[in-house]
Amino acid sequence: MDIIFSIALIIFNIYCFFLVGIESPAPTLTELGAAFWPRIVISLMVILLIANLINQLKIRKEKTVHEKIDIISFFKSKLFIGMVLVSIMALSTPYIGFLTSCFGFLVTYAILLGERNIFKVILNSLIITFILYIIFQGLLDIRLERGIGIFRNLALFLEGILLNIKRGL
Amino acid sequence: MFDLLGMGLRIILNPSTFLLITAGTILGVVFGAMPGVSASMAVALALPFAYAMDPVIAIAFLVSVYCASITGGGITAILFKIPGTPSSAPTTFDGYPMAQRGEAGKALGFSLIASAVGGLVAAFAMALVSPQLASIALEFGPSELFAVSFLGISVLSCLDSDNIVKTLISGLIGLLLACVGMDPMLGISRFTWGSSTLLSGIEMIPIMIGLFAVTEVLKQTAKSKKIEVSDKEKNESTKMKTVLPSVKEIWETKGTMTRSSILGTVIGILPGAGATIASFLSYAIEKKVSKHPEKLGTGIADGIVASEAANNAATGGSMVPLLSLGIPGGNAAAIMMTALVIKGVQIGPLLIKTQPQYLASVFGSMLITNIVMVIVAMAVAKVFAKILAIPYTILGPVIVMLATIGAYALKNNTGDVILMAAAGIIGYMFVKLGYNSAALVLGLVLGQMSESNFRRAYTLANGDLVKVFTRPITAVLMIACVLMLVYPLIKYILRKKSW
Repeated sequence: MDIIFSIALIIFNIYCFFLVGIESPAPTLTELGAAFWPRIVISLMVILLIANLINQLKIRKEKTVHEKIDIISFFKSKLFIGMVLVSIMALSTPYIGFLTSCFGFLVTYAILLGERNIFKVILNSLIITFILYIIFQGLLDIRLERGIGIFRNLALFLEGILLNIKRGL
Repeated sequence: MFDLLGMGLRIILNPSTFLLITAGTILGVVFGAMPGVSASMAVALALPFAYAMDPVIAIAFLVSVYCASITGGGITAILFKIPGTPSSAPTTFDGYPMAQRGEAGKALGFSLIASAVGGLVAAFAMALVSPQLASIALEFGPSELFAVSFLGISVLSCLDSDNIVKTLISGLIGLLLACVGMDPMLGISRFTWGSSTLLSGIEMIPIMIGLFAVTEVLKQTAKSKKIEVSDKEKNESTKMKTVLPSVKEIWETKGTMTRSSILGTVIGILPGAGATIASFLSYAIEKKVSKHPEKLGTGIADGIVASEAANNAATGGSMVPLLSLGIPGGNAAAIMMTALVIKGVQIGPLLIKTQPQYLASVFGSMLITNIVMVIVAMAVAKVFAKILAIPYTILGPVIVMLATIGAYALKNNTGDVILMAAAGIIGYMFVKLGYNSAALVLGLVLGQMSESNFRRAYTLANGDLVKVFTRPITAVLMIACVLMLVYPLIKYILRKKSW
């Protein structure tokens, strides 16, 4: 894995090295130009990545038993599902809003972590979602994502309730 | 100094002012302990309360919120591995392993005492040498600031001495990420691939929250069979009373505490450098001078003390350029400056001479806050520690959601939430492959500061690199950088030769 990561990073760095040159104008006598610093960083990184690659290849050569990458079991693992859930939550928040994504994530992740009592999971998730919403949206005035369509209407409805409570206080 | 002390105490010991400072301390610790609220956001949230106050009391109140929020940030760093503020990131290295061992109370105790000592040292330093230090800070031009940031970068070699190549690669990835967005001198876009989100650059907070908090939850998910066992361990950690550090244990960290407090104050005074650089640098120096550097990162008190004393001392230090020169050292100081300017206070070099009550007020507030803070933070920490008793099936997802709010609240931008999620997944890969997430964060923190100051210095020297590096302070700092970078290499060669 380390070898693959190093090779991928070297290729990406070489691409970035030329890309930043195209994007920025030529340096002058008193101005180093926008490409200077990134190119220094990229050059140093490529040198170190090659050193790391050589090191890893040496270690691999010394080892008699090579590690096997079991891709199928990785895709079936809890870890991969966890990564997918985090990604879905992050990507869906602009559309379904904080309230729905938070509740959905809390329920699905709790099940992933091994919680079997579905009623308990749903109840806990609902309570936690509202506590977080009240603390951050209500008390700290951090405008949490509303989402679009029906989700936006729901968020606006709850914001209205919070505003009325605040006015009442 | 004694005049200032007397004036400061007169202002602060007024019952109503004292109550306001205590309230500010409570607010600060609670805000700081919330993963979604940074120190500058805590000050911004407290700002509306300060509008109604007298300017001298307002600055004391805001200072108490600022100092206490930095301390509060250490609470979540220790208990959940979520640094409440970026400067608390190094606290996670030793604080979290200690909490995992069931010594959460002890870790928090060390964190609070170190924070208080750091804050008090900075307060006295501020009162004693503020005008003189301010004039030294004025000597710092772009080349000196580049040297300071480069010193921070050279710290990378100390973060993981067993894996220097991978640590340096991680740091360089951070430096490259800092290049994304607008070029600091010419305003040309770099590595944006036409995306408007990337045009404003990659924010540090979502990356940091992702790398630390989300990665940790993914790690726990991968080994979810063991979660039940760690729940039991965590229940032990909530017994705060039984595991507080003893006076003897605290006394044993006196060297680290002194070094980190002084270093934090000095770094805090430098305009542009801040609590984050101070805590990373202090942690790295501790690794250099410690008698048992291999233990740092495994959950020992020295690691917590180094980070927490330095970041609190830096908050005091950052008040020096604000009050004596009118230069805010960081975001929180800028917010405080805005509050004072709104009140009609003219901040600048003449403030110390014409209106010393402001410096006295800040000095007094820092003294009181750092004492009150220990009691307040211990009470808050006890409440937070109870959370550790919650099963991980609930706590894990909640940590991710708090991290999400933390990333989002920065700019109300869901793009930052996606960035956080990506950082969390990459962070897990980093852990698996032996790369260093802290080094990446440090690179990201220092990237723009290094580049912009280096290029500015080059332009001011009319393109003469010799002129850039031969300024006295720059030269001394650069020699220190080279020594820091070369030292592990020499150590490695010597170790090989001895075989």
